Amino acid sequence: MMWAAFTSEWTKLRRPTLLFSTFLGLAAAASLFVVLLFSQASANGGIVTLHQLAEPNGLVIGVARAAMLLGVVAFGIAAAQVASEYSLGTLRQLLVRQPRRTVLLAGKMLGVITFLVLALCFAAVVALIVAVAAAHSRGVSTSAWFTGTGLGDLFRELGDLVLATIGYSVLGMSLGQFVRSAVFAVIIGFAWLIAVENIIARIVPASQQWLPGASILAVASGGGEGVSYGHGLILGGAYLVAAICAAMTVFVRSDVTA
Amino acid sequence: MDRTGERPGGPLAVSTAGLTKRFGERTVVDDVALAIPSGSVCGFVGPNGAGKTTTIRMLLGLVRPTSGSGTILGGSLAEPATYLHKVGALIEAPAFYPQLSGRENLKALARLGQVPLTAVDPVLERSGLLARAGDRYRTYSLGMKQRLGIAAAMLAGPELLILDEPTNGLDPAGIVEMRGLIKSFADDGITVLVSSHLISEIEQICGYVVMIRAGRLVHQGSVAELRATQRAEFQVAPEHDADRDRLARLLRQAGCTVTSGDAGGVLVVDAPGAGAADLNRLAAQNGITVRQLAEHTRSLERAFFALTGTKSEDVPDGQEMGAIG
Repeated sequence: MMWAAFTSEWTKLRRPTLLFSTFLGLAAAASLFVVLLFSQASANGGIVTLHQLAEPNGLVIGVARAAMLLGVVAFGIAAAQVASEYSLGTLRQLLVRQPRRTVLLAGKMLGVITFLVLALCFAAVVALIVAVAAAHSRGVSTSAWFTGTGLGDLFRELGDLVLATIGYSVLGMSLGQFVRSAVFAVIIGFAWLIAVENIIARIVPASQQWLPGASILAVASGGGEGVSYGHGLILGGAYLVAAICAAMTVFVRSDVTA
Repeated sequence: MDRTGERPGGPLAVSTAGLTKRFGERTVVDDVALAIPSGSVCGFVGPNGAGKTTTIRMLLGLVRPTSGSGTILGGSLAEPATYLHKVGALIEAPAFYPQLSGRENLKALARLGQVPLTAVDPVLERSGLLARAGDRYRTYSLGMKQRLGIAAAMLAGPELLILDEPTNGLDPAGIVEMRGLIKSFADDGITVLVSSHLISEIEQICGYVVMIRAGRLVHQGSVAELRATQRAEFQVAPEHDADRDRLARLLRQAGCTVTSGDAGGVLVVDAPGAGAADLNRLAAQNGITVRQLAEHTRSLERAFFALTGTKSEDVPDGQEMGAIG
């Protein structure tokens, strides 16, 4: 039954406007970031040096900085997919065909997560091609990237990004479930991830390791300042479990009047 | 059983007991006991805000009853999954994904309900949408959207079809088409529960009626039974307008209630125990020639007002009761 909800969700997700805008948008954003990174790199310093870019992990150096952008996009799309069922009124149609609400929400979440993970993978492949081209244009050797060490770093970072994408997606869908408005869910989510957590962390630095956005970001970037990778993984996971349980509980118990 | 499904004492497609819904302090549906026979076309009528949609949402598992119980197609109201696979529904305005075509929208619902995708085109054809099935939903007219809603409701081959205000926003031709569709569902033996605030619609297509007002059940039973409880009224017009007042006085003296008709000197006469012949005889014996004498069964609308003890002008704003129903 969850497979039925999953395939039904994909019927909606694969519509050309959403599919192309998400896949191409993420790929364009990632590519732009790569181009900027290589164009700003210098022999002596700056954001990153050309020497650093030629190392085995050179390909993934900039990923940590782009993780927040990818997270915000995943969060927004996920929140909109759930909240729009309320604003369009389509939820009542769905619930007549699948009255088991936990099954419906689980299938929907799985559909949205796979959609965003695939979009991320597509963006990564495009960014990799752009990175190779950018490296050649700046005279950066890419031979170290495709060694065992380099590819290991690449796939480890991709794995972390996939985990972070799942995290941002679940948080987005949970918020969409509570707010029931795509616009408000995206505004609240963006404000929290981009502004509120930063403000809290600046005022009370010790709080950073307990914030959901910072925890997921730490996973995406393989550990960051103030939040270790392991801590981010455990705390982020706990936040996700709590978010899923809360969203399921609210969804199962609430009246659908939209 | 006739086409409208009137089957006293037969099995019930929908039965509820003490069905109640409160939102905070406000009771929207109050102790409603439905008994809708299988195979019937049942009209669910009441003014706007009477609780029709909330009742329907409870039947569909979208809204949790505050109290009460029920059985739908043999499944418990408390477990919608036990019966919803046999139910099709159009709830208020049709709601679909604007970016998807009509066919893709139905495919999404078919996949969700584990209905074979081969069922999609036949329901599109039946609802007259096959030619436009590939177009995006957002390009559809209101009538087409409504028809797609009907197609979605038919997708799972339902035994019970619940249609909430299916003629809302349709032009006269669309209303006639919708009426035909509903009758064809009845011909297929599907139980149809159709809500409307337009009682004239209900009168034309339904053999069974449930009346609700302010959340409470006012009446339920066959339309024929309800009509039988209503006395007939007569429209009488004398040949000469000069005789109108005298005829009215004579009728009142004979115990009739007389009111003025709309136009043309017509008197509307409520004549308990009298027939058309009695009225004609009374007029003739007093030298008045009658040019029009017609017997009318009271409409369901008037029956509704009689049952609730209200007049149309008593209905609060927003509870359009000239449009009961």
